[in-house]
Amino acid sequence: MLPEFNLLMPQTLPEALDMLAAGVPDAVPLAGGTNLLVDMRGGSRRPSVLVNVAGLDELRGIRQEDGHLVVGGGVTVAELLDDPLIARHAPVLRGAAAVFANPLVRNRATVGGNLVDALPAADMVPPLLVLNAEVELVSKDGTRRVPLEEFIVGARKTLLQPQELLVAVRWPVSPPHSAGAFRKVGLRKAACMAKVDVAVMVEGDEGGCCRQARIALGAVAPRHFRVHAAEDLLRDQPLTAEGIAEAARLAAEAACPRSGSEYKRQVVEALVRRLLTGVADDIWK
Amino acid sequence: MKYKAKLLPPVELPELRTVGKPLRRVDALGKAVGATVYAGDFTMPNMLHAKVLRSTVPSARIKRLDVSKARALPGVVCILTAEDLPDAKLVTDIPGQTGQKIRAGSEAQVLASDRVRFVGEPIALVAAETLDIAGRALESIEVEYEVLPGVFDPREALKPGAPIVNEPDNVVARWKIRKGDVEAGFTAADLIVENTFRVPFIDHAYIEPEAGVAWVDERDVINIRVCTQVVEHFRSIARAMGVPHNKIHIQGTMLGGGFGGKEDITVEIFLALLARHTRRPVRLAYTREESIQAHCKRHPFIITHRTGVKKNGRVTAAEIKMISNSGAYPYLSPYVLLYATIMAAGPYRVDNLYVDSVSVATNNPFTSAFRGFGGAQAAVAYEQQMDEIAKALNLDPLEVRRVNYLKTGDRNATGQVIKSAVWLEETATRALEALGEKVVSPGSIKVGQGFASYMQSYGRITWLHDTSRAWVSLELDGSVVIRCGVPDLGAGQVNSLCQIAAEVLGVGLEDMTIYSTDSALTPLAGTTTATRQLYMSGNAVLQAAGRVREVLLDRASKYFEEAPEDLDIADGVVFVKEAASRRGGEPSSLNRSIADSLPLAELAAMCAAEGLPLSNLALFRAPFTAKLDPEDLQGDVFPDFTFGAHAVEVAVDTETGEITLLKSVACHDVGRAINPAAVVGQIQGGGTQGLGYALTEEVVVKDGVIQTPSFAEYLIPTSRDFPTTEAIILESGTGVGPFGAKGIGEPSLTPAAPAVANAVADAIGVRIHELPLTPKRVLAAVGRARGIGD
Amino acid sequence: MQPRIVTLNINGRRYQVALDPNVTLLHALRDLGYTDVKNGCEKGDCGACAVLLNGKAVNSCLVLAWQADGAEIVTNAGLGTMDNPHPLQEAFADTGAVQCGYCTPGMIIAAKALLDRNPHPTEDEIREAISGNLCRCTGYGQIIEAVQMAAKTMDNETMNNEQLGGGR
Repeated sequence: MLPEFNLLMPQTLPEALDMLAAGVPDAVPLAGGTNLLVDMRGGSRRPSVLVNVAGLDELRGIRQEDGHLVVGGGVTVAELLDDPLIARHAPVLRGAAAVFANPLVRNRATVGGNLVDALPAADMVPPLLVLNAEVELVSKDGTRRVPLEEFIVGARKTLLQPQELLVAVRWPVSPPHSAGAFRKVGLRKAACMAKVDVAVMVEGDEGGCCRQARIALGAVAPRHFRVHAAEDLLRDQPLTAEGIAEAARLAAEAACPRSGSEYKRQVVEALVRRLLTGVADDIWK
Repeated sequence: MKYKAKLLPPVELPELRTVGKPLRRVDALGKAVGATVYAGDFTMPNMLHAKVLRSTVPSARIKRLDVSKARALPGVVCILTAEDLPDAKLVTDIPGQTGQKIRAGSEAQVLASDRVRFVGEPIALVAAETLDIAGRALESIEVEYEVLPGVFDPREALKPGAPIVNEPDNVVARWKIRKGDVEAGFTAADLIVENTFRVPFIDHAYIEPEAGVAWVDERDVINIRVCTQVVEHFRSIARAMGVPHNKIHIQGTMLGGGFGGKEDITVEIFLALLARHTRRPVRLAYTREESIQAHCKRHPFIITHRTGVKKNGRVTAAEIKMISNSGAYPYLSPYVLLYATIMAAGPYRVDNLYVDSVSVATNNPFTSAFRGFGGAQAAVAYEQQMDEIAKALNLDPLEVRRVNYLKTGDRNATGQVIKSAVWLEETATRALEALGEKVVSPGSIKVGQGFASYMQSYGRITWLHDTSRAWVSLELDGSVVIRCGVPDLGAGQVNSLCQIAAEVLGVGLEDMTIYSTDSALTPLAGTTTATRQLYMSGNAVLQAAGRVREVLLDRASKYFEEAPEDLDIADGVVFVKEAASRRGGEPSSLNRSIADSLPLAELAAMCAAEGLPLSNLALFRAPFTAKLDPEDLQGDVFPDFTFGAHAVEVAVDTETGEITLLKSVACHDVGRAINPAAVVGQIQGGGTQGLGYALTEEVVVKDGVIQTPSFAEYLIPTSRDFPTTEAIILESGTGVGPFGAKGIGEPSLTPAAPAVANAVADAIGVRIHELPLTPKRVLAAVGRARGIGD
Repeated sequence: MQPRIVTLNINGRRYQVALDPNVTLLHALRDLGYTDVKNGCEKGDCGACAVLLNGKAVNSCLVLAWQADGAEIVTNAGLGTMDNPHPLQEAFADTGAVQCGYCTPGMIIAAKALLDRNPHPTEDEIREAISGNLCRCTGYGQIIEAVQMAAKTMDNETMNNEQLGGGR
């Protein structure tokens, strides 16, 4: 049973932004509702006003522009999974979409919602981090862009202001000789929360050298993070088995410092190593 | 090792027309098009909505309970607390008994008055005009607890000075088996192997949460429409409410799954009380979270095996200790413990056997029936122990079992002679043969194979004097009606009865209509539990239909001037067998002439005109035995047993701890498959529940609080988790069920989890002694194995 | 909290109902008599409440009725009847895919959504498509067979229709 609330049904984005501006701090946006409605039913969130942004045209659409891929905040995870641009240019993101929740939830859950809720196990975040994504936030007062890495500050905490909507997430199209991969480990083979999320991206050159590596972890800590120590190690180096092993070790350390979960440490080490090895094969074999 | 299936003894099972065919079940289409009405799908005019206030602490005294604010809310019609129900005590003892005395200490409070003993214990009932108002009323009820020390580990609960959850000493039940001389047996052993195994709380996780509607009618009868495995609960509800038995009417619905979780009284008593107090219809439907909190769980067990063996694997002595966690209230703990005790040593000849078992109360969710009923937990231990013995002796796991398997005519742990086929080797070899050679595994992925044999009881404890009744009637147009109280959990209970009656009366399944699950209008058939319905109600239907057939053929014999044994019925036509076969070909409706055949409808009309009975009410009795001496538990306990095996191949990722099931095969001797498609469904479904038991399921309870409150945390298998279990059905025809049937409902689950545990141990070379086999536990074990290897 | 009139096109029938904003599509459907849409968990974990919403399979427990204003909704009961069952419903009934039947309506909706986009799914694709529909009775084996059987039947029907000169 849901608690009582007022539900506003804007027809356009400007209408929605007006409603948010007028309604904060009690008003929150509702898109797919796959987290929000569950939380409201469970009593952990009780907004008195919901602004329905599901279906707003301005939040839909996946396109390529100015060397960037742009995904509307209201795009569902299912749409992401089906999209040819994503399949071609961002398999790392598609990989996460494929194991996100379950097919029914995917038809409602939005990319924007996943980012804005910023649950520690949010599967959309690690791939977007290694894609170097930034989020576009819009309010009645204007637009701003924030790198995703800065946007998420902690578990369920982002830089989103109450009257803002996440209208899009964008990232530069990957250059040639680059590849990415994503892996999720949970307690069953489908439809579950991640225990460990790993995403990697390598941009290389023809000669076998790694120009840039990006490694992002999710679910192992309250906040998603890039493992900069490992990335620094791999930058402008040939990508060797030793380098990969060391990077994996650094990632595992970053994920679970001494007192942390030995299990997660081992899993992170294994997955980072495997994903980097696989990505290297993809680029250079 | 290449396994070859053992030859089956020759079995001549007659080819039947309806029984043995994978026909579309009578309830299937209604469910498929969404027409079937479940307990939560009823509404009535003027209906109220109920909610239950439950304890949020595991051990406390209720200092203050103030419902005044809630009562004052507009739209709140009734609030009940223990104060309003001074005499309401609920029988939680084994249900469906006839005149048996109720076990002392087995009554539970309907609503907590002074003490609460587990999180979720019901404290107050609310009935309101809408669900919203009921919810707000719940929030307005004020409860003040005086928190008392709780105890959560059964071993702690046994220690002197432990908080007392169940008077006087937290011991809810004890059983022991004393057979032969274990001292001598251990002395004769070449090796002694000892292991302890643990299994957790499990939830039934039926997709249909508990629900129902109740109303009081013009006869002052309280009618309750509810999903239940036991319509005989009307007696206990009547008792709790202080009304005569014939004033409670349970209309059971088709269940959306039971598995033992709807065997106890759930919503019925709350519905009855609120309906009576308000004199309006009342609906109560649990949320998923409430269902997980409110209904029983599978008993956690700690089982220690100490086994003496000869070099060839022959068991010389076994000493087994079992502790089960009864949770806050006894419910069926003593019986689950009894089953576990009797099946503790597994399907093996153990001449020197001591078993000591105890069920202990704690401030945890209460535990009761769950598919397998102690037999499943016992199997997790005894089959892993067998593999450990094989490893210690460097013998093949099948070989170790071969030298110990029970055979027909042997005595089991309680000295009961097993009379039906004991196809242990036959089922195990077939499962292993179908499993095939182990695949080669690259690098950090380790592949293992494992199997488990089992025995599971078929039918209820015989000292309960089990009975079932069914009524079969031929209508004047040749269609058939069955009335039987049997609850249908979804496993095809009512359909089996239809196929049996159709077979006997020579009509098609499409000519059958069954009315079931009504405590007043259908003959009482007992519980749908203990893998007993096909045995009990199936035999009752067989008898009833058989007597109708006798009347028909007797009358027909006069009509045809042939002996009744020369007549048969098929496709709704009675005919002379010899005449049909003289014309060549099979006796069938196509092979008839007017002279030697007669439509059933015409025969029925003839009989009706002469006042001959076209219906029969049959009562079927299981064997009635005396209760065993608890000092040694030697004697007959069950009508029959089912035997089989499950084999799996797993791939263990030794770097992430993930386990992937590559292949799953199960082979069971079901005696006779009434509907083979339904049997396959049970083998695959029960098997999958067992696979979940091994790998993904655990109700995590911390200091009495469930940490896995919904399906997001309590993980049952999805379609992506396991390959389909290949089901190999064997039919020995030797069961005590109709047409020689044995059971499959519980047996299908029992061997699956130990098979997985054995496969994982085979893969990584080290055993994990508790379920579930989580990635964390796997990695820790792999680490241990590396340590050993160094 | 004020109710508003919402238009729901359910199984080809048009309803205009006054509903509060906090009513989910699940409850709106069930209150209108569509009790084939089941409540198993109310948080998107079990799929028992699945319906087609403008052609997409969704958990109706996670959609507010107002969000479905004007939408086309199909429940399992809208796919076929006892007299005229849908090939999926027939196949489910025939293979043993229906045991307790409680997951069945949502499962068939998920299967329908799959076959609408992919008339010839592999076993893996079927498993994936129904991975949000929990079944506790069958172990999924006979359900997968049913979807495969229905796919063939619907293929044959399409072929027959085309041969007869009709479209679909």
